[in-house]
Amino acid sequence: MNRETPPAIAFRKVSRSFGDRAVLNNVSFEVASGEVFCLLGRSGTGKSVTLKLTIGLIQPDAGAICVENDNIVGMDEDGLSKVRSRIGFLFQSAALFDSFSLHDNLALPLKRLRGKKPDEEIETIVQNTLDDVGLGKEGRKMPAELSGGMRKRAGLARALMLGPSILLVDEPVSGLDRVTASEIDDLLLRIQKRDNTTMVIVTHDTREARRVGDRVGVLDDGNLIAVGGMDELAKNPNALVRALVSEAQ
Amino acid sequence: MRRYLDFVGNIGLFALRAARRVLAPPFEFQMILRQIEAAGWKSLPLVLSSGFALGLVLALHTRTTLVQFGAQAEMPAVQSLAFFNEIGPLLAGLLMAGRVGAGIGAELANMRATEQIDAIEALSIDSFKMLVIPRIIACSIVLPILTIFMDVMGLAGGYLAERASSDLSLQLYISRGFHDVGWAAFVPPTLKTAVFGAVIGLISSYLGYTTDEGSEGVGRAATNSVVISSLAIILIDVVLVKAIFFLFPEGAI
Repeated sequence: MNRETPPAIAFRKVSRSFGDRAVLNNVSFEVASGEVFCLLGRSGTGKSVTLKLTIGLIQPDAGAICVENDNIVGMDEDGLSKVRSRIGFLFQSAALFDSFSLHDNLALPLKRLRGKKPDEEIETIVQNTLDDVGLGKEGRKMPAELSGGMRKRAGLARALMLGPSILLVDEPVSGLDRVTASEIDDLLLRIQKRDNTTMVIVTHDTREARRVGDRVGVLDDGNLIAVGGMDELAKNPNALVRALVSEAQ
Repeated sequence: MRRYLDFVGNIGLFALRAARRVLAPPFEFQMILRQIEAAGWKSLPLVLSSGFALGLVLALHTRTTLVQFGAQAEMPAVQSLAFFNEIGPLLAGLLMAGRVGAGIGAELANMRATEQIDAIEALSIDSFKMLVIPRIIACSIVLPILTIFMDVMGLAGGYLAERASSDLSLQLYISRGFHDVGWAAFVPPTLKTAVFGAVIGLISSYLGYTTDEGSEGVGRAATNSVVISSLAIILIDVVLVKAIFFLFPEGAI
C-alpha cells in the first residue's frame, strides 16, 4: 500500500437513487494503490451498487468517481472501455457466459481486446491463469458443470485475464462453506501480494473483512458510517459498527 | 396509450443504435455464424415438417374446390403461387418468431438477470455489438433461406396430395407449378423475409437486452418476443405486399 501516490479509486460525494429509493447518499472514500478495501454492511445497503459505479456500469446522480485519476462520471463509451481494461470484476454469481466453455470464457477478453495476439500465446495465458486458480484441468467444462467454489475461481480467473491493476470483488465467499471460502480468500491474498493489485471487496462476512482487508468501510442504508481498520472500528461510537465488527472476533 | 408510444419510440431508438453499429468494426463473424446455426440449422426440422404438412393440407382443400369448377389442372400453379407469394414467407416468419424470437428474448433476458451482460461490459467489450447485432444479422440472413425450404416442402406436400388423388407425374406437376411463376412472384416475396428476420431479431433482442425485472423478466421477455414479433410481421407484411405489387406489378395474381 502506498499512500504517497494518488488514490486508485476515489468517491467524492457520490449519490445514487433508484426511483424514490436512495441507495447511496453523499458517499466519499478513497482506496490507495495496492490497498485491500473491504465494504461491509447488511444486505441492500448499496455495496454492490458501489462496485458497479466504480466500473461505470451505473452512473451516479451526483458526485465524482475517479479511477486512477480519470473521472468516469459522464465519460463516453470509448473512455469507459479504456478504464475498464484496467479493472477486473468478480461478480457475486461469477456471471460466466453459459454458452461458452470455461476456456472460452477466459479467452474471450484476450481475443476481443488483443486480437493480434497469436492463438498459441492466448492458449498459454488461459492455461496459466486456470492453473493459477486451481482449475487447470477444467478448461473444457461448461459453467453449468462447475461447483459454486469452482465458479468463483473461474470468475476470478476471467477477471484477471487482462492483468488488471484494480480488482473489484462482489461477495466472493457468499454461499460457500468455510473451507472453500477460506481457499478463495487465500487466493485473493496471494494475487494481491504477487501483483500488488488494488482490491475493493464487498462482503457481509466480517471474518473475511478482518482477514483480507487493510481497511474496512461500513455502509448502512446508503451512508458510509465508518472507515478504518477492524480494531479501530471495534471502538467506533456507532453501535451497528461495533456489532458488525464484534461478529468477527 | 403512452406506454405503447414509449415502447415504439424505444424500439425505434434501439433500431437506430443497431443501424449505427452494424457497419462499425469489429465485425462479429464468429458470433454471427453461431447465431446462424442456432436460428437456421436448428429451425430447419420445424420448417421442413410444417411446410410439408401445410402443403399437403392446402392441396387437399384446394383440390376439392378446383374440382367443382373443373380446374384441377391448375392445382400445381395455385399451390406454388400461394406458397411463393404469401404462405411460405409468412409462415416461415411466424415459425421463426415463435422458435427463435422466444429463444433470443429469453437468452438475453437471462444474461441480463445473471449479470452476464454486465460482465461483458466489465471486460471492456461492447455487449450491444457482441450480442444484439449478430442476432439481427443472423435472423435476416436465415429467414429467406428457411422460406425457400418452406416453399419447396409445401410443393412436395402438395404433390403427395395430388398424387394420392390422380396419376399426375412429378415432371408435369413441376412444369404446371412453375409455368405461371415469374421471378417477380418468387424473389421479392422471399427477400421480404429478410425484413421479417431483422424485425424478429430487433424486437426479441430489445425485449431481452433491456429487461430489468430479474428472473421474472425472462419468461416475460420470451412471451412478449413471440407476441410482438408475430404481430409486427403481419402488419409489416401488409405494407410490404402493397410495396411489392407497386414495384413489381407483374407479380400480382
